[in-house]
Amino acid sequence: MGPVTGPEVSDPPAGHGAGRAPAGARGAVVADPALLALEGVPYDQRPVKLEIRGLVKVYGDGRDEVVALDGIDLDLPTGGFVSLVGTSGCGKSTLLNIVAGLDRPTSGEVLVDGDLVVGPGPDRGVVFQAYSLFPWRTVAENVAFGLECTGVRKAARRARVAEMLGVVGLSDFADRLPRDLSGGMRQRVAIARALVTEPDVLLLDEPFGALDLQTRRSLHEFLAQVWQRTGATVLMVTHDVGEAVYLSERVVVMSSRPGRVAEVVDVPFGRSRGPELRRDERFMALEDEVDDLLHQPR
Amino acid sequence: MTPTGSAVVIGAHRTAAPAPAGAGETGAPADDGRPGRGRRGRPLGTLTRIRGTLSLRWRVGLGVSGLVALVGLWLVAAARTTGADSGVRVPSPAATWSAFTDLWSSGTLQADLAASGERMLYGYGISIVVGVVLGIAIGAFPGVEGGLEAPIGFLRYIPASALTPLLLLWLGVDEAPKITLIVIGTVFFNILMVADVARAVPRELINAAATLGASRRRIILRVVLPNSWPGIIDVARINLAAGWLMLVVAELLASDEGLAVRIVRSTRFLNFDVMFAVLIVFGIIGVASDLLLRGLRWKAAPWDR
Repeated sequence: MGPVTGPEVSDPPAGHGAGRAPAGARGAVVADPALLALEGVPYDQRPVKLEIRGLVKVYGDGRDEVVALDGIDLDLPTGGFVSLVGTSGCGKSTLLNIVAGLDRPTSGEVLVDGDLVVGPGPDRGVVFQAYSLFPWRTVAENVAFGLECTGVRKAARRARVAEMLGVVGLSDFADRLPRDLSGGMRQRVAIARALVTEPDVLLLDEPFGALDLQTRRSLHEFLAQVWQRTGATVLMVTHDVGEAVYLSERVVVMSSRPGRVAEVVDVPFGRSRGPELRRDERFMALEDEVDDLLHQPR
Repeated sequence: MTPTGSAVVIGAHRTAAPAPAGAGETGAPADDGRPGRGRRGRPLGTLTRIRGTLSLRWRVGLGVSGLVALVGLWLVAAARTTGADSGVRVPSPAATWSAFTDLWSSGTLQADLAASGERMLYGYGISIVVGVVLGIAIGAFPGVEGGLEAPIGFLRYIPASALTPLLLLWLGVDEAPKITLIVIGTVFFNILMVADVARAVPRELINAAATLGASRRRIILRVVLPNSWPGIIDVARINLAAGWLMLVVAELLASDEGLAVRIVRSTRFLNFDVMFAVLIVFGIIGVASDLLLRGLRWKAAPWDR
């Protein structure tokens, strides 16, 4: 375990009211009252949602053998937000794919609420980097896909989709095809599609990597709102240190070849955050610290 | 990071190689030191730009001139061979047209079209259905791919036309051997090409569907198939030409009616004008079916235009 930065108990910086909600994210995704109680509960004392135990992933064999992941252990508490940062090729996306059930580990296991993950399922929603929307389906039909899979009836489906499109602010684009949308709008659709089935765990694989800075920042606010209101347990892979520190409660720095957990940094800014945090000195200092850890030779 | 000693010189294009006298297009500065109005870069050609696009006017113009050139060649060939004693004779467009009107007014052409069209409809229809089902299965499931790809790859290289005598022997002289020949001659191409189309479905889409709770069956029907439709229509369009080829082979052996039958009969009596009329009908059918399938793709996949 690496150095733990800052106080254990969260202490939101001044000027952070819980009442500040960006337009469009108003109460449609219902907050679980039990989750509001999480505010102030130390990270390590919350019930565990996602357990990653001794995960090893080896590609190829013999001389071509590449150890992508070498014994990863990680716990996520219920309602926690953890980011994985690392240089490209450190196996962070492989780790996320194994948690999603899209890839098999060579050894080790992933547990959600104590159940062994053996394949993909709607309990773990995934938002991919880009190009994951079905191009022949309209925005509304894309969001409805997960509900079709779980057998939700048409009327209920339509209501849930309309609600979800309201949350992501895309009600006016319900009948458009993905190709008519900007990159930021497409990612909002992808997030809506992943959230509509109310997954326990939300997995984000560099979800904003292909977007410009302005769009990325507005989606950070959006994602922070979604997280605070739904209480989803979030595991995000990113190479953007600022994004990781701004959004998560804990940042896991990975080293590459073989992929290992190099450092774990706790982020002490609580669950309610707003754009003011970006100019907070403590935020900037922590961002620099994680950045240094990331580029430290190992 | 100091420029001294570096082999890279920024601004080399400006100062290198003084312009030869009289050539005012190298962009070398004029005597007064101000930049000259030279020309830089390789000009982009309208017709010669690699992967360039043409305006509609250019495309129609070039297409029409290509067809005119073809007709011109035909006219020249016809004019130079009229009255020749040798066997080389090209019927004139006028003679071909009158042969066509004769065929049409006697009803022969309609009967031939109906007979050939029906064979193609059944034969190529079966080939497409089998091609889509097996192709998608091969493209989607590694197990099916492993078992079927090698035998189909082998069967594909057996010349289908060589099987005609066998098919006649086994299936009689009716429609069955002709339809079978069209199927055998095209189905392996259709299977393998549809498999390639199915393999090209982006993994992100399959992964997204799986994480949303889709079953294997749903992924095939709701992701692989819709994503593959435009490609499947393209495959059908490309292999249709092979289908017509197999139809001709099938009809050459034993038939009373059909476009290829008409060609064989006309050549036997040296009626080259009739033969040319039927050949042109073939060409028109080909172009028409091609346009039809392009239109279908345009209508069926508005997301992939």
